[in-house]
Amino acid sequence: MALFDIIFEGSKQALEAAKAAVEAAIEKKGSDAKVAFPETAYGLPAIYAATGKKIGTLGELRDALSIVESLIVPEQNLEKALNAGLATALSAEIIEACKYAVEEKPYSEPCVGFISDAVIRSLGVPLVTGDIPGVAVVIGEAPSAQEAAKVIKDYQNKGLLVFLVGKIIDQALEAKVKMGLELRVVPLGYDVTSVIHVVTVAIRAALIFGAVPPGNLEELLKYTRERVPAFVNALGSLSELVVSAGAGAIALGFPVITDQDVQEVPHYLIVQKDYDKIVPTSLEARGIKIKITEVPIPVGFAAAFEGERVRKED
Amino acid sequence: MINCELFTCDAATKKLYEKAKKERIDTVWDRALAMQPQCGFGEMGLCCTNCSMGPCRIVKVSDDGPKAGICGATEDTIASRNFARAVAAGSAAHSDHGRDIALALYHATGKIRVKDEEKLFKIAGEWGIAVEGKDASRIAREVAEKALSEFGKIFGKLLFLKRAPHKRQNLWDELGVAPEAIDREIVEVLHSTHMGSDADYRNIIRQAIRAALSDGWGGSMIGTELSDVLFGTPVPRKVEANLGVLKKECVNIVVHGHEPTLSEAIVMAARDPELLELAKKQGAEGINVVGMCCTGNEIAMRHGIPMAGDFFQQELAIVTGAVEAMIVDVQCIMPSLATVAKCYHTKLITTSPKAKVPGAIHMEFDEQKGLDIAKRIVKEAVMNFKNRKGEVYIPDVKSEGEIGYSLEAIIKILDRVTNSFAHPSGTVKPLVDAIKSGVLRGAVAIVGCNNHKQPHNSCHVTLAKELLRRDILVVTTGCGAHSCIKAGLMSKEARKYCGKGLATVCELLDIPPVLHMGSCVDISRILVLLSEVANYMGVDISDLPVAAAAPEWMSEKAQSIGLYAVASGIYVVLGVSPAVTGSENVTNYLTKDLESVLGGRFEIEKDPVKAAEKIAVHIENKRKRLGI
Ligand code: SF4
Ligand code: SF4
Repeated sequence: MALFDIIFEGSKQALEAAKAAVEAAIEKKGSDAKVAFPETAYGLPAIYAATGKKIGTLGELRDALSIVESLIVPEQNLEKALNAGLATALSAEIIEACKYAVEEKPYSEPCVGFISDAVIRSLGVPLVTGDIPGVAVVIGEAPSAQEAAKVIKDYQNKGLLVFLVGKIIDQALEAKVKMGLELRVVPLGYDVTSVIHVVTVAIRAALIFGAVPPGNLEELLKYTRERVPAFVNALGSLSELVVSAGAGAIALGFPVITDQDVQEVPHYLIVQKDYDKIVPTSLEARGIKIKITEVPIPVGFAAAFEGERVRKED
Repeated sequence: MINCELFTCDAATKKLYEKAKKERIDTVWDRALAMQPQCGFGEMGLCCTNCSMGPCRIVKVSDDGPKAGICGATEDTIASRNFARAVAAGSAAHSDHGRDIALALYHATGKIRVKDEEKLFKIAGEWGIAVEGKDASRIAREVAEKALSEFGKIFGKLLFLKRAPHKRQNLWDELGVAPEAIDREIVEVLHSTHMGSDADYRNIIRQAIRAALSDGWGGSMIGTELSDVLFGTPVPRKVEANLGVLKKECVNIVVHGHEPTLSEAIVMAARDPELLELAKKQGAEGINVVGMCCTGNEIAMRHGIPMAGDFFQQELAIVTGAVEAMIVDVQCIMPSLATVAKCYHTKLITTSPKAKVPGAIHMEFDEQKGLDIAKRIVKEAVMNFKNRKGEVYIPDVKSEGEIGYSLEAIIKILDRVTNSFAHPSGTVKPLVDAIKSGVLRGAVAIVGCNNHKQPHNSCHVTLAKELLRRDILVVTTGCGAHSCIKAGLMSKEARKYCGKGLATVCELLDIPPVLHMGSCVDISRILVLLSEVANYMGVDISDLPVAAAAPEWMSEKAQSIGLYAVASGIYVVLGVSPAVTGSENVTNYLTKDLESVLGGRFEIEKDPVKAAEKIAVHIENKRKRLGI
């Protein structure tokens, strides 16, 4: 199937899933029930940034579905493909919002789910100074826990902020990767849709630090492309949904590096099957230069360990 | 007087046309008007003068006129013969150009040094010429010899055919159209179209195809490749275009024509300190060399010399009153220039024994004494500065663009989007990926001339804009390139005309959306690019989502180009119909049936907007068939 068709297909699937999630949530809570993510002033951040609208209730969320639908126009060109990718991101946000509307605490250890405004504000300075040189979003499943750990730790050692989505979280746990925001490895959730919680980090960064006016999609995408040094590693088999979410990342200016066979897109969608090269490939793709020279000592050593208390017995 | 608002979209052309009218100078448009109505027999290709029993004509409009020539030649025979002869003439023009370049390389000792040795070695390797232990000038000589033998060798096929995808080469062999020696193919067209020879229109066109292929993959390709060896392979650079590049305070020299051997020498001579001093003494601030038509493209591509204008602007350049000398060699030089020049101080200087113009000064150019002759010519121009008379008017119209996109330059640029940990460098892979992923829908070459039957420049420009909008990359050569740069399509700002996909590609690669690939012989660069892409994808050129268009074509060279493109598997849209419409069979053969034979065909479409639509449909069909 042509790449754009895969994207359109994935976006339609995401939309269907979002519709179903909204219906189920309304059935349970009624259309007047509140929807909100915890500890944010930006409503549903992706929808807010893209449309300027703050969604308050499930009924309004149902209305937002038509916006998503209007973004999916299966014409064969990049513009429409990227819009479809954005639609998938919005669908993901809708699905995640429904989780928060229906359940008291949809995420539990080790996953963090939605990330609060306070955390984003705390990330602002190190991102600007380059202390956090980049944001890696690792999604899916590596061939083994060792390979997963190798990639994650490598980013960690270089001071990048790493977000994990999917089975890779269990692989990281299995390989005893130390996680937590202070350690700069943040497991988001097991569902693909939880990737939206890092997307909204970028989006809120644009709103907070870039003062991008909500509803100005053009400027939002320019800010994320130019100012948020994020990229995606999509590992393991790629569903249409993941590919279309990848198109969303590309729309934000984030290159996607995958270990799977897909049609490459120059600069933006790169195949790298060699696990020893995933990290350098990704850094080059996003133009990330590591400021601190790596110290060749056996323990991972970088800013990522600043938050870790060195226990006596170590 | 004609309403020039309608016949051109170029501001400088409009202004100078008005000046010409004020000064009672006839231009190409006025002569075209005077020619109306043009002869229907000739227009349809139904007039034959191939023997002295003729002229004969076939009457189509009524039942009672003759339906065959005196010898019995039918409309199919006559139309196909006329077409084949036009193709042969076009092929001959390009090929003679190629031969001259090969000769220049052959004599490249001492004074003319080989500029691109890497390319020389590459060609030597391709042609099986051993390079070990030989110096560059010896290799140059051997390469030149081999190139020269391509024109008349007795056995074997053209060497450059090997650059085509295997499937294409096999197809040519099967159809018996793989050219053997360039001159021979041209002669054979002349032979078979002689009275009483070939009467089978398909067979006549088959021979025309051989002659055309011997141009694209022979004469033109030799011309391009060896020009690069001699004068350097073009690299991206900025250049100014349109008649506003003439400078009131300088000695203005327009080089016009085709062969870079002359224009290169003029460029060099114009930098001579003695001549610059002389110019100052004459009261000029300096010497301003500008180029016109294809030789203009050549020196712009290699030296950034301003592109003064296209085919239809040649008379208007003189009308500015600011041109001290127009130096010409061969091809597309309007004989009217002598008449126009007479009204001003401009000296029209012809240089080729193959192209003299009554009323012009003839200063014969000879590659071996190139620089000396060039200096004499430049001096002639310098000494003419003080003879300016009448009103000097240089319209304040020029634009800027980035040009110099040889295949080598393009591949280097593509490396900008390769990831050094994931991709090889030095290949067309990024271009292939951009096309396969759909970010780019395809690529189109806009080439060809100007023709009064189409509004000047606006067909090129409208077509280009329509394609850019659809994420279709445009490459261009010849006067198509002049049109595009004048309209600003070779600047970064031209991204505003592009769809998101193409705009993204341009941004990532830091290129304009319309790539200037050179002169008319440089269309061979496009053939090589397409071959590289097809080879990389493991398909034939005819499988690629590409097309070519000549919206304002006029010359026989354009007909040869069109036919070799078709024979290479390309869909070619012509804005002006060739003179074949008198024969339904020939027309159908060229515009329909040929596709099942060669994978390429002609399409006649005057309206550039409709042409773009047709091209887009063609490209999407090719994509579907490739499953991309
Ligand atoms: S070749 Fe035949 S058709 Fe042509 S001029 Fe002679 S007699 Fe007439
Ligand atoms: S494009 Fe046509 S008019 Fe222009 S120089 Fe080439 S052949 Fe002549």
